[in-house]
Amino acid sequence: MQFDDKVPIYYQIKQYIYKEIIIEHLNPGDKLPAVRQLAVDLTVNVNTIQRALSELVEEEVLITQRGKGNFVTTDMEKLVSLKQHVVEEQIEVMYDHLTELQVTPDEVLEYLTAYMKQRKEQDNG
Amino acid sequence: MDNLLVINQLTYKRNMRVLLDDVSLSIPAGSIIGLLGDNGAGKTTLMRLISGAATNYSGSIIIDGEVDKPTMKGLVSFSEQLNGAATDAKLEDLAKFYDTIYPEFSMDNFNQLVSNFNLNLKQKLSQLSKGMRRNFVISVTLARRVKLYLLDEPFDGIDSMKRKKIIENILAWMPDDASVIISDHHVTDIANLLDQVVIIKNRTIVNQIDADKIREEYNQSIEEYYESFYKEVNDHA
Repeated sequence: MQFDDKVPIYYQIKQYIYKEIIIEHLNPGDKLPAVRQLAVDLTVNVNTIQRALSELVEEEVLITQRGKGNFVTTDMEKLVSLKQHVVEEQIEVMYDHLTELQVTPDEVLEYLTAYMKQRKEQDNG
Repeated sequence: MDNLLVINQLTYKRNMRVLLDDVSLSIPAGSIIGLLGDNGAGKTTLMRLISGAATNYSGSIIIDGEVDKPTMKGLVSFSEQLNGAATDAKLEDLAKFYDTIYPEFSMDNFNQLVSNFNLNLKQKLSQLSKGMRRNFVISVTLARRVKLYLLDEPFDGIDSMKRKKIIENILAWMPDDASVIISDHHVTDIANLLDQVVIIKNRTIVNQIDADKIREEYNQSIEEYYESFYKEVNDHA
């Protein structure tokens, strides 16, 4: 995995795990690899993995079973709101960038609709 | 976290020259520390002193609560221990030698490490390429089960694929409560790995900071932070 060295690594690991869950590489109830294994796979240190995981446990996206490891929550409501939250965050970034360019909210919608139409044609063509 | 290594007001002079000047530093257990600094800043000297290679310094070095030199030597594994090894010796004979002189050397671990690196133990040290030699040094260093690992420029002259292999082995092999200090002047190689960054300049430590704090509070990469810090200090000097 490529990291952006200007963004805290624990934060990027959280985003990575969110994504793995949203695109169903990790399914509800799945066990996560051991901390050490994740550290080796992502080439970051164990403490950074630990910090990311403990925040995910705090957010109840992951559930810790004593002595067994960390599992993706089976609470579907939680998973739906996780996706909502991640999508909203992306939109927020885009929205902030556009309003910085003094694009009005109505214009944002227009640009977005036009872009999506164009993109659909491009991707299908 | 408890401190594994505590250094207080360490000053080291040799031949009338100050090589380390009033260094104080605490390193937590179970952490990976990047020791960053220009060539000649004092990185290797500091590691040598921590490893117990020289004792005629002022100030104190405490490792895992110990101040007794022979005990401390058994707690530290320094990558430069291979300097002075006979170059016409076969790797397997060198390994046997380290096994006899270091009680905490694990031949099992060593064998797994060299097989990860695809090293041929029948070869002589002098036959190894620079990269293979580095891999052998890392294997010997990590095969000792100690509290503190000192890796001096482990990626010098190593291409990026092999770097990754070395990093994976460090992560896979370091004991849970052990710490690793890695010196480097190409920060980007190790940026993802680090818990903390220690910056050394003009023979003393000028800063110690959490790696993610640099990113979170300064919105900078470790490299930018390190470089700007060097520049800033220069400007004020």
